[in-house]
Amino acid sequence: MVSGRHAPSRWICGLLPALAVMLAVTQSAAAASLSAKDLQVLGRALAFLQPPPGAGSIAVVFAHDDAASRRDAEAIVALLGDGLRSGGSLLRPMLRDSQSLAAGDFSVLVVAQGANGEAILAASRATHALCVTGDLAAVQAGLCTMAIWSEPRVEVVISHAAAVAAGIEFVAAFRLMVREI
Amino acid sequence: MTRHAFIRCALALLGGVLGGGGFGHHGMLGYAGVALAQPVDYGALEQLFGEPVTASVTGKPQRVADAPADIEIITQDDIRRSGATSIPEVLQFVPGLDVRLDGFASADVGIRGYNQTSNPHLMVLVNGRQVYMADYGRILWATIPVQLSEIRQIEVIKGPSSALYGFNAVGGVINIITYDPITDHLNTATVAAGTQHYLGGSVVGTGGIGDTAGVRLSLGGFQAHDFAPGQLSQGDALARQSPFNGTFAADSRWQINPSVSAFAEASVGDTRLSEQELTALFDTETLVTSSIRAGISADTPFGLLSLSAYRSDASVDVNNIGINLVPITDTEYQTSYVVQASDLVKLGTDHTLRFGLEYRNDADNSGDYGNGVISTAIYSASLMWDWQIAPSLSLTNAVRLDHLLLHYSGNLLPGAPVTVAQYNNTTVTEWSYNSGLVWRATDDDTFRLSVARGVQLPTLLQYAVQFRPGIFSPAAYIGRPDLNPSVVWNEELDYDRSLPAIASTLRTALFLQRTDDLLTTPFGAPLTITPSGLPVFFSQNVGYSTAAGAEIGIKGHSANGFRWNASYALVSTTDHTTLDTSPGLGTVEYAHSAPNHVVIGGLGYSQDRWELDLMARWQSSYLDYRLDPTRTMLLPVQVDNYVTVNARIGYRLTENLTAALAAQQFNAPALAETAGPPVQRQIILSLTARL
Repeated sequence: MVSGRHAPSRWICGLLPALAVMLAVTQSAAAASLSAKDLQVLGRALAFLQPPPGAGSIAVVFAHDDAASRRDAEAIVALLGDGLRSGGSLLRPMLRDSQSLAAGDFSVLVVAQGANGEAILAASRATHALCVTGDLAAVQAGLCTMAIWSEPRVEVVISHAAAVAAGIEFVAAFRLMVREI
Repeated sequence: MTRHAFIRCALALLGGVLGGGGFGHHGMLGYAGVALAQPVDYGALEQLFGEPVTASVTGKPQRVADAPADIEIITQDDIRRSGATSIPEVLQFVPGLDVRLDGFASADVGIRGYNQTSNPHLMVLVNGRQVYMADYGRILWATIPVQLSEIRQIEVIKGPSSALYGFNAVGGVINIITYDPITDHLNTATVAAGTQHYLGGSVVGTGGIGDTAGVRLSLGGFQAHDFAPGQLSQGDALARQSPFNGTFAADSRWQINPSVSAFAEASVGDTRLSEQELTALFDTETLVTSSIRAGISADTPFGLLSLSAYRSDASVDVNNIGINLVPITDTEYQTSYVVQASDLVKLGTDHTLRFGLEYRNDADNSGDYGNGVISTAIYSASLMWDWQIAPSLSLTNAVRLDHLLLHYSGNLLPGAPVTVAQYNNTTVTEWSYNSGLVWRATDDDTFRLSVARGVQLPTLLQYAVQFRPGIFSPAAYIGRPDLNPSVVWNEELDYDRSLPAIASTLRTALFLQRTDDLLTTPFGAPLTITPSGLPVFFSQNVGYSTAAGAEIGIKGHSANGFRWNASYALVSTTDHTTLDTSPGLGTVEYAHSAPNHVVIGGLGYSQDRWELDLMARWQSSYLDYRLDPTRTMLLPVQVDNYVTVNARIGYRLTENLTAALAAQQFNAPALAETAGPPVQRQIILSLTARL
């Protein structure tokens, strides 16, 4: 079959871009301060918000004038792809500068490397958005509500003060199982 | 209504549901997505943390690795791959557990020794509801109204847990957790057939209204021929009849609002089984059991408030053979009702408290066995305090006070040196505690140090059995109201290490235990002649016993489909009793009544549509008892060490249909595992549909 002889080359032609995309995603994942698995944990943790978030947006925030922070945020957005599914809701990612959070059109703030600070804290308080980071020190300092990481085992750390300030509540069983500071 | 009429009704009801009645959910089993404000959403929390979650150790939901006790979790996958048709068959491959199969549908399960027939040292619960028989605190596993396919996980806590569960949780606790009616949409049916003329099946269906209400209905049962009598005496052999069982259960939950959840459940069952009873006789019991339970929990600013109440009933027809091969029949009516309230509250960021109140009433109208009704009313208060001292260090302390009132109404045996007034003036107040320190030394290493004081209450029959002379021997068998509870002290050090390089976890445990005021039934006590000249065997406290042991086990799996486990358990028990333990006299002989050494191994492989599993267990010899052919004396029987090997092959025929062939004990056609009938090889072919 003629078409059969040509089929492998078409497969290879289709495969190469796919491999390129996978490579890019892998590189992005390696560069991001939050891994794909961390974000999967985040999606599951969001289901324990009281009330759970409906469909909306996740703002992935980078520090103003910080190229490394922006690259990290872009990597996180790439990992999120079309969005983060939590329960029946889809939260679509959007890239945001830390100085342009006034719009408040998001329910979750994912903070890229180097972006934690008073601006994020103020935005979280003003919009009642959950602030999430991979930087435990930021949560310990009360600058962000939730730190997550998935390796070597899943850990979720919550700043009680930051949660109260942002008016964020969690299901009781969840609070009993995570580390609060 | 005839004996099986309720099962037919239940089947029709369940058929209606599965046949497309007005229930809206037909989703996949598993995480439904939205975590509701239920007390513990096991599925969602397990998915979040990537490991099983339990609330059985402290009453607070915890990751198993963080719990301050030695706990084993048997998952639904473990249950399915075991090929087992009963819960005890699953438990026999858990390190530290001892399973005595003394009939096709009869088993006694012990934790770390101290296992004998009608073992009352173990607490078994279904979603927190205690399922022991009120007369002797024994577990008739076949009567538990749960199908294997609806179990999310079985949680096995080794060692005393009286500070949470009260009396009788001294050997350990087994909590059977089923799937949630709202978040887990389980629709499955299984039929199975095999050797011993086994025929069994189960149907489980779940329906609901959105994420706010759900109900799960389950129906199942089996019939079979019991094991051949082997060396049993003529009387014991005559007393045994083939088993059957049918149970129906309904479990529902409503999410009233995001913070308030209510539940209601009910079950009925009809069971016949032959077993070795505490007299060492073999009998056949036919039981009609039922339970009803309701509760509500609310996530409030004052904590997680829970209130629940339940009632369990059992009508038990006992048929056995006495001396001179005279048939003996008796009917018991047992009732338990329980009311529980608790508040689980987190104070600040590091402290969690749980306040608990409980009222329990157990009653046994044991007909000819007790000539009346014996009951206990127990009032309890408990407090658990969990302190997260540092990110890697936590301390949990729990204390509980139980106050018991004993009551008897009936006609005591003429000449018995006890009075009704003595019973009705008896009160017992006991305290128990559990304390555990958990230190996560590194990401891979966890140490647990725990101490506990558990309390074993005398059983209702130990208090009040009234066998007149001439039933089992020329003497009478009489319980006493002045018995002391047994007190079990336990110290334990555990060490767990995760081994990521081989995707495994190593678990080790060292424990020391001492049981004061050992309790014996009249059937294991020395003969006493009362001042009135009546020869009597009394229930009594007979000294103390110590035990020491260790467990080591490894369990893991690989990404390419292999899974493995291996373990070794050691327990060495020493008795210090006031009894003459010469052969033929004593049943309180714990030093030799359970194997000292147990080795377990398992290997499994999943690939595409196939599941292959092989499990083996070797245990050392131990000493068991049955009655001698004259049926008047206990006959010690040495049970030699043995190996049992099980295997299962599962094949997924379609997306929804799985066939499995399981061979229990395929290495031997018959094995003497107790002094009872030899356990026979069992081959079971099953077909499971999962929608």
